[in-house]
Amino acid sequence: MNLRKPLILTVVASALVGSLAISSVSTAVAGAPGVSASEIVLGMQLPETGPASPGYNKVDDAARAYFDYVNSKGGVYGRNIKLVVKDDTYKAGLTISTASKLINQDKIFAFFGSIGTQTHVSVIKDINRRKIPDIFVNSGYSSFYTDPKKYPTTFAGLGTYTVEAKILGKYLLEKYPDKTIGVLYQSDDFGRNALAGLATAGLKFEARKTSASFIAGTQGSLGLASQIGQLKANGVDIVIIAAVSSATAVAYATAAQLGYKPTKWAVISVGADATTFQTILGSKGVPAATSAAMLAGTISASHAPAPGELDDEYIAAFKKINDDFNKGADTRWDNNVLQGMNAAYLATSALMGVGKKLTRKKLISYLEKNGSKLSSAAFAPLGYSKNSHEAFTGFWLGEYDASTLLVPIDGKRVVYTTDSAGGAVTVSNYKRPAISADALPKVA
Amino acid sequence: MSKSISLKHKVIGRRSTLLAILLFLFFIALSKQFDPYNQAQLANIATLLIAVLSITLLTGASGQISLGQGAIMAVGGYASALLVTRLGYSMWLSFILAIFVSALFGLFLGLAAARLSGPYLAGTTLVMALAIPSIAVRFEPFFGGDVGINVDYGNPPRWLTSFVGKISIEEWSLYVVLPFTALALFAVLNLSNTRAGRTWRAVRDNEVSAALAGINIGRTKVIVFVCASGLAGLAGALYGFRGLVGPSVYPTDLSLTLLTAAVIGGLRSIGGAIFGTFTVVFLPDLIERITSTFEVPGAIANYLPGLAIGTLLLLTVILNPSGAAGLNERIHHRIKKTISKSGGH
Repeated sequence: MNLRKPLILTVVASALVGSLAISSVSTAVAGAPGVSASEIVLGMQLPETGPASPGYNKVDDAARAYFDYVNSKGGVYGRNIKLVVKDDTYKAGLTISTASKLINQDKIFAFFGSIGTQTHVSVIKDINRRKIPDIFVNSGYSSFYTDPKKYPTTFAGLGTYTVEAKILGKYLLEKYPDKTIGVLYQSDDFGRNALAGLATAGLKFEARKTSASFIAGTQGSLGLASQIGQLKANGVDIVIIAAVSSATAVAYATAAQLGYKPTKWAVISVGADATTFQTILGSKGVPAATSAAMLAGTISASHAPAPGELDDEYIAAFKKINDDFNKGADTRWDNNVLQGMNAAYLATSALMGVGKKLTRKKLISYLEKNGSKLSSAAFAPLGYSKNSHEAFTGFWLGEYDASTLLVPIDGKRVVYTTDSAGGAVTVSNYKRPAISADALPKVA
Repeated sequence: MSKSISLKHKVIGRRSTLLAILLFLFFIALSKQFDPYNQAQLANIATLLIAVLSITLLTGASGQISLGQGAIMAVGGYASALLVTRLGYSMWLSFILAIFVSALFGLFLGLAAARLSGPYLAGTTLVMALAIPSIAVRFEPFFGGDVGINVDYGNPPRWLTSFVGKISIEEWSLYVVLPFTALALFAVLNLSNTRAGRTWRAVRDNEVSAALAGINIGRTKVIVFVCASGLAGLAGALYGFRGLVGPSVYPTDLSLTLLTAAVIGGLRSIGGAIFGTFTVVFLPDLIERITSTFEVPGAIANYLPGLAIGTLLLLTVILNPSGAAGLNERIHHRIKKTISKSGGH
């Protein structure tokens, strides 16, 4: 170790590196942070790169496309919506830094549509203590939303994994009473939330026999051979997957390699995007026709129409906006794009609903009071109230056809609804309002 | 003889104290120029610097390589988070105890590591970096699984705000971390210039001749591991209190980032550790600033920081293995030589 050299010189040199990186301090804006006469700044964190990024890295481009469309029509009360996006690579250590950057340098008004359960856990407490709205979070982890006293500014952008798993579990139990049902889940809150929902529906699994787990993010490097092999060895007929899309693709590919053909695959919706599935398998040399055939017959759920339902009025409108405004690297129309655009549509509705005098407090209060009345492409309303910040409270079940389109089981769309607790699963009677001709929300 | 040694110790002690205080004041002065985000980054540097110093000790001083310092950080992080959330200990006490818990962990690791060297030791420590997150997930009820344990520095205390005025949450985090960084720097400076440090360097440079000189090689290596682990554990505890102690806070690439900082700065230099840590934390921000000016597409811009740091690491290893500190020394030496030459004529 060298003490002869002046340590102070090194310190000064380090300072130079540091000071070069300092961004100019933003000028203070009157009123709410992130809101000026001409702009509303929203911030989003998601894995743009890294093993969890495939598919999800399209959500921000889709949302920005919708906001750009709104801006082209005059914005929200003359204010353009600007979306600032930070790549946290799905690592919580980085999420903490990027959140600080969004708050302190980009001076955002609100967090919008952040993706990732375990990453959002690292910042949710800080965001809430700063009273910054944290809207339409792209995580179905119920603990974020079921106790608004704990996280008063956080609102869901997805139905909870528990609700979806309850609906899926009930269906599978009734439809396949004699089959052995198993589960492959990522051992994080997403996976455990889904397990809890399945358990509420009456589906229990035996560890290391009918249930197999893996650490989220390791599916790419370590593969899922032991997990799939275990399900095969134990004669599991129906495999439920509660994992991200990249893991679903790896699971199917591994099963094909092992010659394992379960009677049915059932995949929780966030892990069942057909485009992502095909893209990942395509990168492993699997032709599109083969991957489509692999996916065909898979059961999944959705709160919104399938992206392939081109005659649906919301799908048609959003797809056109995607074609005209999306400047992302991959603009192919799929479920990720649809979700990003639908969340942006809802965010625009909420910002319009608050009115000209936009503040953080008013936005939160508006969502609690009026959120359940906001319409979107979803066939279920938002479950927002003073006691819950859960998003879509209903799902319909479908099966992928040969062209990777999710079509309602038995040809008829039935939307089921339930809660994240022990409530019963019932058929929803919600009627989705029509979209306006210009695809802009009409909020009183 | 003994008098001269104790005198030398005093001089070294005084110098270490002075440098630690200078570092403390320098960070404070720098933070006053920064916005809250960069204050948080500065706190981040102060935290990671402790971990990089542990590599400077381990690899620079004793020649043992570790690709798992991030995992030892996790040990410190979990220890402090569990002490606070389960047993209600104060944050400050938990940081101190985290040093002891991770040092104990380092003792067991060191006992194995003392028998290994080179790639075998690197492999063992890398496995540890990969295994620790799995343990957290496997024993989910205790460690909180993937979601981890929520902990933070809290809000700035009233006694401080009434004394220095209103400060940001980020500035408070810097005030929490900085005393520990200064103490760590003081400890490492002192350690490296005492008998222990000289013994370590003797082992690093030539194990056989060190053994012939009567140094117990195995014991020496274990002691270094214990000291380095204590430091890494402290860094891990401070790092976790930014918001979360969980597997995705201490990923494998954290260990590699720390090693990169140490190599870029110069593995054997404390000044180099400071420079390297500043580089790995601020370079991505600098690149982002440049790419946002030139409107580089996201698909490229997202990969540039990793590419730049990777290239810098490769260039350092190939062209300048002694890092920024070595380069600084060479330039210094050349200038001196030129001056003395011109003076001689």
